[in-house]
Amino acid sequence: MPTFNDFVSTLKNDLLDFAKENLEEYKDEILKDGTLFIEKAKSDLERWTEGLATGALSKADFEFLLKGKKDLAQMEALKQLGLSKIRITKITNGIMDVVVGSAVKTFL
Amino acid sequence: MTTKAKIQLLLSALPLSLTIWSCASISVFSPEAYKQAVELKVESLELMSFATMPYVDYEEEVINLNTELDKAFEFSKGRPDNEISTEQWRILIDEEGNLLGGFLKRWETEGSLSEMFVSEMQILVSDAFDTIIGLESGKIDPSEFK
Repeated sequence: MPTFNDFVSTLKNDLLDFAKENLEEYKDEILKDGTLFIEKAKSDLERWTEGLATGALSKADFEFLLKGKKDLAQMEALKQLGLSKIRITKITNGIMDVVVGSAVKTFL
Repeated sequence: MTTKAKIQLLLSALPLSLTIWSCASISVFSPEAYKQAVELKVESLELMSFATMPYVDYEEEVINLNTELDKAFEFSKGRPDNEISTEQWRILIDEEGNLLGGFLKRWETEGSLSEMFVSEMQILVSDAFDTIIGLESGKIDPSEFK
């Protein structure tokens, strides 16, 4: 007859596997998005500065673009916030699956 | 009721209760919202490409686009637990801001805009739409809860 301690032990191992699998994946995703945004911002600024120097962009154009980039950064941050909430929902659901799976494995 | 039956009942109820709790934080995927954002992205970028020409020649198209953008914002606002996407739409279409809404307003005010400014703004607005589309496509499909 399995004991509650058997269940806890199974659950611990299953949760560890689940965390390893999911958290690494999410960490990589967030880092990739952040790095991409910074790289893009750098190349945008280089082009805009050059445009300003050659007269292809006015000072007002340049300022508008800079502020636009700031607005875009806000939208990107909101996207990341939303995706984090979705990840939490998925992880919560995943943890429940692990708990249920471990209990079924142990008791049923 | 036996212990085994009690455990079975508990286990069957747990996922449902947790799903209800965890879904309260953000809306689920909406194919309509996704389609709306993709279509408006295409239409907006297309209209923006004419901003080097006189605004008066495109006034009607701008008014129509603004109406469609307002509809998308209202649709987003009306969906439950959809505050994050709604805030994205608000920033994008804000006339006082510096993305699509501000761009269209500036076109109206100045009559026409420079070629490089227009093409650079198209890149920003395209990326801005992608943040909305990216978040929507990342949302959980309601069928995953069934």
